[in-house]
Amino acid sequence: MLSCADFLAEFGEYLENTANPGLRARLEEHLRQCKVCQVIVDSTKKTIKIVTDSDSFTLPADEVEPIVQSVMARIRDKKV
Amino acid sequence: MSKDPAALGLAPGECTGVIAAYGFVPNVFLAQKDVPRVISAEDQLVDAILARDSVLTREQKLMLLRGVSHVLASEYCLALHAQSPRACTEQDAVLLRFALKLAGHAPWISAKDVEGLRQAGFDDAAILEAVVTTALGQLLCTLAKALVPPLDAELTSTVPDDFSEIREGFNYAETSGPYLWPQNQLANDFPPFTFFREQYGFVPNLYRGQALRPDLIEAEVRALEGILIPEDLLSRIQKEQVVLAISAANLNTYYVAMRRQILSALGVSLEECDQIVEDHQQSSLSPADKSLLDGTRNLARSSGYRSEAFDSERLRSQGFTHAQIVEGVAMVALTNFLNTLQSGLGTVPDFPPHRVFTPKDLYPELNQARPTTDASRAEDDPDSVLVARVQSGDAEAFEDLVRRHSRRVFGVLSGVVGNIDDARDATQDVFLKAFEHIGTFQGRSKFSTWLTSIAINTGTELLRRRRPTEILDESDVDEGFRPRQIQSWTDNPEQVLAASQLRDLVREGVLRLPQRYRTALILRDLNQLSTEEAAAALGLSIPAMKARILRGRLMLRESLAPHFIREKGSSGA
Repeated sequence: MLSCADFLAEFGEYLENTANPGLRARLEEHLRQCKVCQVIVDSTKKTIKIVTDSDSFTLPADEVEPIVQSVMARIRDKKV
Repeated sequence: MSKDPAALGLAPGECTGVIAAYGFVPNVFLAQKDVPRVISAEDQLVDAILARDSVLTREQKLMLLRGVSHVLASEYCLALHAQSPRACTEQDAVLLRFALKLAGHAPWISAKDVEGLRQAGFDDAAILEAVVTTALGQLLCTLAKALVPPLDAELTSTVPDDFSEIREGFNYAETSGPYLWPQNQLANDFPPFTFFREQYGFVPNLYRGQALRPDLIEAEVRALEGILIPEDLLSRIQKEQVVLAISAANLNTYYVAMRRQILSALGVSLEECDQIVEDHQQSSLSPADKSLLDGTRNLARSSGYRSEAFDSERLRSQGFTHAQIVEGVAMVALTNFLNTLQSGLGTVPDFPPHRVFTPKDLYPELNQARPTTDASRAEDDPDSVLVARVQSGDAEAFEDLVRRHSRRVFGVLSGVVGNIDDARDATQDVFLKAFEHIGTFQGRSKFSTWLTSIAINTGTELLRRRRPTEILDESDVDEGFRPRQIQSWTDNPEQVLAASQLRDLVREGVLRLPQRYRTALILRDLNQLSTEEAAAALGLSIPAMKARILRGRLMLRESLAPHFIREKGSSGA
């Protein structure tokens, strides 16, 4: 069976669903028997979801148009 | 020129593979008669790949060789394989398409290409044969380019095929391998493995990955024994340097990592190896050895794109004998064979590569269409119409592009520079740069990927100005990071904190990440780029990108964990 270090080395492929079927089966076999890796998988998936949904680095909607107009004004100025 | 194998100095029964495959000994082999062991080595490969019964039919393999000859613009090899049938079934067309891409754009073969073969009904054994046959085509075309053999009486000149329909729509994605997963493992005392342990000190993954066909591995080892190992003509180190230089020219990360290690074991300094990879002219090699690398590198890169003649006269003027030149040519051919084999199988490096080749290493002067790193073609790009309008002088069309992408650009910048106010100002600079350089955008990647690259570069520049001592391009060394928080999280962590608190918490956590992991995480998880797109934007290999994304996610998990750990006795939120 895989060790935890082996599992972590392939964890990226597992998360992205890019592990080939044989590897995926070995990873899942390890997961069934390892509470620590179960916690890491669960909390990492939750981390990704929190980050994806957080809007932490999203430009507020009302700031888009001023940027558009400022950029276009500078482009028009340069062209004249 | 005699066609009798005995006249070549070969023992009776040798060259049987070539004769079985072609019915005679073609001039491309006879042209190497001054070094019979080289012919014998190549014969082993032809025998294992072309002459023996296998999963692919002989007709299919000849079809592939004809396709490779076309891609590499070898008139001799086209004539040699002229009698092969054209692709007649849809399945054959899929196979041929794969070989054409592998022969012409080996570094861009991806898991998707191999998956395409599986979907067409080819199993792993057939795929391995397709890869190795294409590699053989590379070997033969390289020999023919250098040795320029006269057309055999048995052959007739042929017109090049039109493969434009089959080549249309190549999908240039970059994904990591390996692509085949042999279920069988060869015993540790398998003789070729003993050879590798004795000669290299380890068994390369490339050979373990061919466990489905032990006879192929044996033939490849005999080829190495006949061409690489002997020291009676060129020295082993000279030949290893040729392999290193050519693998670098072929952008083969795997082989550069392997040969660097082997040369180091043979006493060549790692600094010298790295100089050969980057520019052998600046190395401390002798003028003769530099000429050898000049000649062999040009030959290796000589293809449909480049047709410079092999300059054997220059090598002679440096004191190399005809036999040494023949051996050098055979070494180039074998290296092209092995590089192609590795690209087709997607073998992962045996050692952490010191030099990872990326699309930035492509030679910019190539004027033919070349692969891009973005899986999407220009016509799939939702921005292509607006971009074309701007490129044709309609500056106002740029307004919609700014509106469409300002949030993404801001998101990338704020992640890179780690400061919201700086990111707001720099967003405008990114669009102004994009407008200024839009004439150079050729649609080889999506416009959004190109824009993301500009945002990353702009943000990195800003950061460098602000923190000039910070090293921004650290290599991905393993710092021994291991997850430490191993307590279960509550079921619905989003509900533990108010939305604004959660936003601030994530922002702080992300901004505390080292820059390379922060940028990776921002591109993948906040901007929702695919791993391939993110790698393209950063100019990284896919494996390096994957490693950074995972590290970023795990480090962020550590910092978020204290807020979401399930209390003892609680069943969740």
